Amino acid sequence: MWRKTFILLLLLVMLGGCAPSGQVGKRVVHLPDPSQADPHGRLILNLGGEVSILNPILSSDSASSAVEGAIFSGMIRFNEKLEPEPDLAKSWEVSKDGKTWTFHLRWDVLWHDGQPFTADDVKFTFDSILDPKVNSVRRSDYIIDGQPIVFKVVGPHTIQAVLPKPFAPFLTSAGMSIIPKHLYQGTDINTASLNRKPIGTGPFKFKEWQTGDHVTLVRNNDFYFGKPKLEAIIYKIIPDENAALLAFEAGELDEAGIPAKDYKRILTLPKINVFEYDTLLYTYLGFNLTKPYFKDKRVRQALAYAVDRRQLINLILKGHGSPAYAPSAPVSWAYSGDVPKYPFNPGKAKQLLKEAGYPNGFEFTCLVNQGNKEREKAAVILQQQFAKIGVKMNVRVMEWSALLKIVNAPKDPKEFDALIIGWSLGLDPDAYSIWHSSQYPKGFNFIKYQNKDVDRLLEEGRTTINKEERKKIYAQIWKLIAEDQPYVFLWYPRVIGAVSDRVGGLQLPPGPAGPMIYMEKVFVKK
Amino acid sequence: MTKYLFKRLLQLIPLLIGISLISFFVIHLAPGDPTNLFTTPNVKPEELARIRANFGLDKPVIIQYFYWLVNILKGNFGTDLLTGRPVVIEILERLPATLLLTGSAYILTFLLAIPLGVLSAVKKNSWFDKSVTLFSFAGMATPSFWLALILMLVFAVKLDWLPAVGMYTFTLKDSPWFIRAWDVCLHLILPVTTMTLVSLAGLTRYQRAAMLEILNKDYIRTARAKGLPERVVIFKHALRNALIPIVTIFGLSLPDIFGGAFIIETVFGWPGMGRLGVQAVFQRNYPLIMGIVMFSAFLIIIGNLLADLLYAWVDPRIRLGEKKQ
Repeated sequence: MWRKTFILLLLLVMLGGCAPSGQVGKRVVHLPDPSQADPHGRLILNLGGEVSILNPILSSDSASSAVEGAIFSGMIRFNEKLEPEPDLAKSWEVSKDGKTWTFHLRWDVLWHDGQPFTADDVKFTFDSILDPKVNSVRRSDYIIDGQPIVFKVVGPHTIQAVLPKPFAPFLTSAGMSIIPKHLYQGTDINTASLNRKPIGTGPFKFKEWQTGDHVTLVRNNDFYFGKPKLEAIIYKIIPDENAALLAFEAGELDEAGIPAKDYKRILTLPKINVFEYDTLLYTYLGFNLTKPYFKDKRVRQALAYAVDRRQLINLILKGHGSPAYAPSAPVSWAYSGDVPKYPFNPGKAKQLLKEAGYPNGFEFTCLVNQGNKEREKAAVILQQQFAKIGVKMNVRVMEWSALLKIVNAPKDPKEFDALIIGWSLGLDPDAYSIWHSSQYPKGFNFIKYQNKDVDRLLEEGRTTINKEERKKIYAQIWKLIAEDQPYVFLWYPRVIGAVSDRVGGLQLPPGPAGPMIYMEKVFVKK
Repeated sequence: MTKYLFKRLLQLIPLLIGISLISFFVIHLAPGDPTNLFTTPNVKPEELARIRANFGLDKPVIIQYFYWLVNILKGNFGTDLLTGRPVVIEILERLPATLLLTGSAYILTFLLAIPLGVLSAVKKNSWFDKSVTLFSFAGMATPSFWLALILMLVFAVKLDWLPAVGMYTFTLKDSPWFIRAWDVCLHLILPVTTMTLVSLAGLTRYQRAAMLEILNKDYIRTARAKGLPERVVIFKHALRNALIPIVTIFGLSLPDIFGGAFIIETVFGWPGMGRLGVQAVFQRNYPLIMGIVMFSAFLIIIGNLLADLLYAWVDPRIRLGEKKQ
């Protein structure tokens, strides 16, 4: 499950990562040797937010997902390169027509209460998600064109998923964490008391949850990938970023997310390793394409030319980011950098505005959500950058829910001109919900992007199973969208994290999931 | 007196219903709903609509209020929409931590503010009064989150005397109770100090002003003219009267003590009510917000009642519930 939401989780929890080849200062990472591992080691992490519920099919917040990631496991997990790997399923195959997926499950898995894990648990989990009474937001992942995926138990350790039509993103959804049938059956899953003392199949067992203070997990000695090295993981709940950093410096935490402003100071501290890594997130300026001035492609391209991304990244992220030109992230396997780019060029911007019939510019209002400092700063900087080509951008800072209400209002046209916001992409490159014309006015194509070729390619992309073919399809999609510039893609943020040098077993170099991707391998030094 | 108390308690009922009605509508006026939190590109709007319907949020607000009220009358405060747990349990779970933190801070504040205020009034314009004034203004001007971080930096990071965040040390989980109690005390020091320093200022000024006003009264002059010792004049004649406004403040701050301190709790990772409440609002977690609102409303009313009763006790001129002769 955390495989699906870990990107979001990272943003808030910000585990560490390895500094990529000296982009912003180099620092050698010294990890302790596994022979130094303390068999009674306890790792202390910070969740950064309150845990709401420890049931992977119900939770939707990053703190809950982080804890669930260590307690539960799914049929498939994703490695640091975002490639699927066997987990509860030893292997899987897909039928020639791409509709039937068969998963062969491990025989040696026990639930934390000692009961054996079987294909019935898998079926129960997916059927529960599909149950309309269960308040799971993941239901739409298992419904294709209005038809649910059917899960069939073929043998005690074999399960089949029958799809109404070929659907490539299904493999990612199949990695969903599995919940125990023998404990949930007959209870109301939404309010079950098990949601506060969960039983899973993952490397760590639930021990204690002190509301608002910490959650403690202990080693699962029967874990099927081998006994985890840590005796316990303590997840503290420290909502304030600065306080968490101080707690890290005081030795009360083993890891902390590092705000860009503190980066240089943190580098001087002893006994820590600092990591930096890319994520699946991008920030953009989106245009409401129903507005007359934004209807013209040349105006959008002009604004893209007017943006100095280097300045944005240097001022807002202190250099810890990279410029974005396409609606995909470089860490994704489906990324392609071969897209039309509109680098900073105010002269060209002015010329395009003139051609589009706005020689004296125009005025529009940009929405930005309150509390997100990066986006608030970006709005002010863009305001100045656009002023240089004669375009007046007003900034309206709004509370998150209020902004979503405007953006998600199911009506046409929507009542905003432009907005600065970000997407945290899923593991699968399928971007149907963001770009397909059917996803307007209800859906996440709230800017009303309509391109017949993109629509066709998006449909093709999700029904093609072969990865290499999909790569080509998505490269074309990114090219077409970048040409149209319905968003001005701004930047990819880079996560900076620090981990105490007593912690070993980290993934180097880390992928978007950070260095603690395999919790069973992590240890602390004696 | 009993009759008066009974009457006041009876007034609670229409008052609480009125408060609940207004708050219920106001929180539903705020844009968004609990499903906003689920907004990611993979979640279809119809799924959000289904979950809203499961929560009963698709019905008109007036109907929702009616259901809520009926449940309350049955003693059911509803279920937290995100955790699926009863609201009452969520509130009661946070209460001890909050009472410990804000309770200690308030007691400390009153214990310090009253003597400081009285002394600076008595020794008006002395160096003592001036330094208390300076300190008070500095305290009022200091943002609590900043002070909290500075204290943390000095006492937890640099000196390493005290724990920086949280309420417990998890390693002491299985230790005897007195070690755990001592551990909680250590964790309390920084947040309580921060809260006290920040709220001390205002109250000290208040007490000083109240005392000064009384000291200028005729009966104080009379007492002094009678040749009473200054000690008696200050403590017996002046202080008792100067405490009256402070009693009001004490009564009015009762809801704060129960409501928690959001900023302090957030910075120190303290598991209190303040964090619960603010989070509930951001999540639009209606049953939880209503639970907290009703709880605070009840406390405000009780606090006011308590202040009135204390008034009568401190000031014999006030007679509650009796018609003027």
